[in-house]
Amino acid sequence: MSSLEKVRPTIEALEELPTVPAIVLPLTALLQQPPEQVDLDKVVELVSCDTTIAAQCLRMANSPLFGRKNTETVRCAILALGMKRIGAILMGCCLNQIVPPDKWVLDPVTFWRHCLGCALVSRRMAKLMGYPDPEKAYLAGLLHDLGILVNTIACPQEYRRCIQMARDERAPLDRSEEIHLGFTHCQSGRILGERWKFSADLITVIEFHHAPGLASGATPLAPLVHLSDLLCRLRNLGHGNYEALGVDLPGECAWAMLVEHYPALARMDLARLTMDIDGAMEEITTVVDTVFKPLPTGAP
Amino acid sequence: METGIAKAGTKPEAEDLNDPAYLKIRDVIYQISGIYQPEEKLYLLASRCARRMSVVKAKTPAEYLEHLTMRGNRDAELRLLLNEITIGETYMFRSPAQLEALRNVVLPRVLEAKKAMGFKRLHLWSAGCSTGEEAYTLAMFLLEESKKLLAGWSFDILATDLNDDSLAAAKAGIYGEYALRSTTGLLRQKYFNPHDEKRLQASDQLKSLVRFDRVNLNDDSRMTFLKGMDLVFCCNVLIYFDLNSKRKVVQHFYNNLLSGGYLFLGHAESLYQVDERFRLVHFPGVIGYWKPPLGYGGGGKS
Repeated sequence: MSSLEKVRPTIEALEELPTVPAIVLPLTALLQQPPEQVDLDKVVELVSCDTTIAAQCLRMANSPLFGRKNTETVRCAILALGMKRIGAILMGCCLNQIVPPDKWVLDPVTFWRHCLGCALVSRRMAKLMGYPDPEKAYLAGLLHDLGILVNTIACPQEYRRCIQMARDERAPLDRSEEIHLGFTHCQSGRILGERWKFSADLITVIEFHHAPGLASGATPLAPLVHLSDLLCRLRNLGHGNYEALGVDLPGECAWAMLVEHYPALARMDLARLTMDIDGAMEEITTVVDTVFKPLPTGAP
Repeated sequence: METGIAKAGTKPEAEDLNDPAYLKIRDVIYQISGIYQPEEKLYLLASRCARRMSVVKAKTPAEYLEHLTMRGNRDAELRLLLNEITIGETYMFRSPAQLEALRNVVLPRVLEAKKAMGFKRLHLWSAGCSTGEEAYTLAMFLLEESKKLLAGWSFDILATDLNDDSLAAAKAGIYGEYALRSTTGLLRQKYFNPHDEKRLQASDQLKSLVRFDRVNLNDDSRMTFLKGMDLVFCCNVLIYFDLNSKRKVVQHFYNNLLSGGYLFLGHAESLYQVDERFRLVHFPGVIGYWKPPLGYGGGGKS
């Protein structure tokens, strides 16, 4: 019996496994299209179906990062933000709503910064190495840690202990999850991904982003997101705890898996990619802070 | 010396930044010096270029690009621009992420490997030490760890520079508020003595750990004999070297490091296309270059 099958009954028995928010599935389809092919009317419709999300988009469009003032309609906000940002904001907002505010164990702003960072790095690496579907890489990066939401909702007390242990021992989160919960966010995320009928590729990323060598099948997304996740955790875009890591990326199994099919990866300028991630921090921080920090009273 | 580009002055107008010449200037600087600026930080580069543009009377970034690439004095101009980029950012404890990485990852690894070979002494080298801030920072850091991580270990720091004035200042060890702005009161008290109203002087204990020496990094005969290093620090020095000299100096660093040792550069510097033997290693918030032991193939970790 695989380790997933061993823990499956435990995870499935958890109360309060979240149901899929209505806009997630149309949104995953939307996010996988090249931005220039996305139907603007459909996006306006998606954004408008949730007043909180619509308000967040307007707030974001009016923020100093985009230098705009008086953006009053959802359509204008979407045009100001651009299709790529809208997708991330929408996905973040609707997933954020499945966690009641008092149940967050990780700081939600830190969590979403990590997810958005990983999405951006996955897309950047995908383009640099010649992977044909960078938007899919972006979506995989955005959703890879879905299981953290499951663990947060389903067992907040135990999860608090997990996170504390990871902090105290400067260790990766999945290791302390195994000790305290008996399963990791990779496994619980997979089960939620199955329930929500995500594509097989996405489910593989969610389950194997910490151990891509164990993934069956040939999707390069799991090793790609593994490397992006590592890079983000090493560039102040992790889960908020210091991890005592020293990583030689080309020495990672994930790297070897990718290089076989994408030789351009071996020529990638890793120092430059790292500095680009640092450069993107400001925008990531602003986007996430604007979207996820609580709205002041009386704001739209 | 550390790059000051991240703290540079005012933001030029947004429309100026859209000038593709800035991206080209960025790429020229990267190609020649190894200093990189991400697109989001081009405004910092632009503000540094603006100072040089007014001196050479270049009206547009494109015209200034010509000064850097086509005119007869392009090498001198590039050097002056690099001075602007790296100006005034030399102070102690400049890179907390680097010290955290030393404490949590690098030193435990190095110590374990050396201990296995029966060694109990560490050798550090601040190459291009300028006025000594980095060397004294390392000395304080090691002293603070001497009862913890480094209990039972001894250590020494070699600090070299080409400039006699810088070396004289480094040996004197007298620093004002600017150099000490990130040094805590406790460390000031422990490792410095009052010199005059505004300045402190490194204590004898601190000075005894650092040996300052004049070394030209291009001098093969000197470089060949600086063997046995565990950690080499060389911040914003190689940026002034041409590719061949850079390769030669990095080769010396490689040869002078023990297997398993590390080289650290300035935070915006890269060795891309300069060297392929060092392995780039990511630590939280900082990158370093690692000399792998013989036979290290990489791969296989999951």
